[in-house]
Amino acid sequence: MLAELKHTLGRMRGQMIGWSVGLALYGLVMISFYDSIAGMENFQQFIEAYPEQMQAFFKSMTELNTPKGYLGTYYFSYMTLIIGILAISAGAGLLVSDEEKGILDLVLAHPVSRTALFCGRLLGLVVALVVILTVSWLSWLIPSGSTGLKLTWIEFLRPFLPLFAVLLLFGTLALLLSMLLPSGRIAGMISGALLVADFLLLGLANSNQDLKSIVKFTPLYYYQGGDAVTGLNWGWLGGLLAVSVLFALLAWLLFRRRDIRVGGERSWRLPSLRAALRRS
Amino acid sequence: MSDQVAIKTRGLAKAYGHVQALRGVDLEVKRAEIFGFLGPNGAGKTTTIRCLLDLIRPQGGTIRVLGLDPQVDPVAVRARTGYLPGELSLEANSKVEAALRYLNDLRGNKADWAYVRQLAYDLELDLTMPIKNLSKGNKQKVGVVQALMSRPELLLLDEPTSGLDPLMQQAVYRLLKEAKAAGATIFFSSHIISEVGAIADRVAIIRAGVIVEEAEPARLADITMRRVRIRFKQPVDPGPLADVRGVLLLSHINGLSATLQAEGEIDGLIKALAGFPVSDLEVDHPSLEEVFLAYYEAGQKEVK
Repeated sequence: MLAELKHTLGRMRGQMIGWSVGLALYGLVMISFYDSIAGMENFQQFIEAYPEQMQAFFKSMTELNTPKGYLGTYYFSYMTLIIGILAISAGAGLLVSDEEKGILDLVLAHPVSRTALFCGRLLGLVVALVVILTVSWLSWLIPSGSTGLKLTWIEFLRPFLPLFAVLLLFGTLALLLSMLLPSGRIAGMISGALLVADFLLLGLANSNQDLKSIVKFTPLYYYQGGDAVTGLNWGWLGGLLAVSVLFALLAWLLFRRRDIRVGGERSWRLPSLRAALRRS
Repeated sequence: MSDQVAIKTRGLAKAYGHVQALRGVDLEVKRAEIFGFLGPNGAGKTTTIRCLLDLIRPQGGTIRVLGLDPQVDPVAVRARTGYLPGELSLEANSKVEAALRYLNDLRGNKADWAYVRQLAYDLELDLTMPIKNLSKGNKQKVGVVQALMSRPELLLLDEPTSGLDPLMQQAVYRLLKEAKAAGATIFFSSHIISEVGAIADRVAIIRAGVIVEEAEPARLADITMRRVRIRFKQPVDPGPLADVRGVLLLSHINGLSATLQAEGEIDGLIKALAGFPVSDLEVDHPSLEEVFLAYYEAGQKEVK
């Protein structure tokens, strides 16, 4: 398992560095704007002049001149989408990408169990996400002392935990779908579409009561975003992590049973469908 | 299972959807022998090898590799087995040495690196090259090195000389013979009869998922055909050549050239040609598929 963990981290090294540097720069730039925005006179009236639907969609923007609202609007509201791209692409390709390239055939011919391979790679994804989020957290925390964004290290840390949980959930969802669908490409595409759909649904549900009953069944409803600055909802966080674990377990069960391909994508088993149509 | 048996399968069956790849394969490979597994493309060679390593799961039959059931204890089987896939894929961005070190990591760093360097030297493989810059033949050398580097008890090699030039093919044969001398069992697939004849102690022939023949390589000569192309200095009637036992006249052009099919020994044909004004002679081994066709047409044995 250790060899696979090392190998996965080695392969994700470029992504880890790129995403960490990008998010760190973003954090440094955004925190430097906080004092100017928080100090703007009549800012609240300016925000209230926005259409109600828009205010509802970006819920936290009405508190943009507070640390919670600022962090929520400029970071935690859409980092689920931004870093979600990485989590989904890494999750969808965690095992299937090597299988489609034909590499897994050789790797699994070595004395490594499927469970060890699965756990090593999944742990690699978790570590990569933790490293990226830690660097991002530090990029807000370290310069915060010289700005008006006065939060303790733990207050800065709290919203990163639900963000990690959501990223892990969509990463493991992509992993699970990659075990069920013919290719990692399709698994990534569907997971990404679900993430974007959930993001839009959540925003629209803020102004539409009918959608509220639906959005309760989606993961982002249980994502606190910037609100977690003032306190964590441990039940929601635990729920998101529990679903991630469930997705990972199901993916592991499927991976243990599957025939490893020599390469290429799996088929949709259309021949049986065609045969059924012919029979009818 | 006897200690003297390295691989034993009984009634091995595997289907991919509605395609029946293996239809009851029975094999027995003794320890410390080189066993050739011959068959045309799609006959079931790769599927059999992948079942032995639990990379794919058969729907029926039993398998024992080194006395172990690969489905029950796959890690123990693989720990004692070196494998060369038929279509070798490696991390394109790695260098050869990094790729080998990763695979060695998976084996718990069992390989002796001096031996790896020796193998690379024998095969003229540059360990510092990025995989993406390697030719097919050089990639194949990486595959051979990784399969041999931990000195496994059993080698499962799927077309080990694919893409290698004749010199390198000879180098691989030499390495396999050395591995055998050190006590390793070698099970390799091929569709080249001459290759199997050169190094194998015993041979099994698979066709359409069934073993149709199991024999020593010398026995293969009996079922081997050759295609003979002859050019004559002046127009002749090649008809008498077709009267030689085992020879069939396939075509001729104005009596200046002829193509014949010769089955078994060609001594009679050579003697018959002594009476002809021959300017050039080419002898080809036909593909295994052609051998099979002749084999079945002759009714020597039926596919079950």
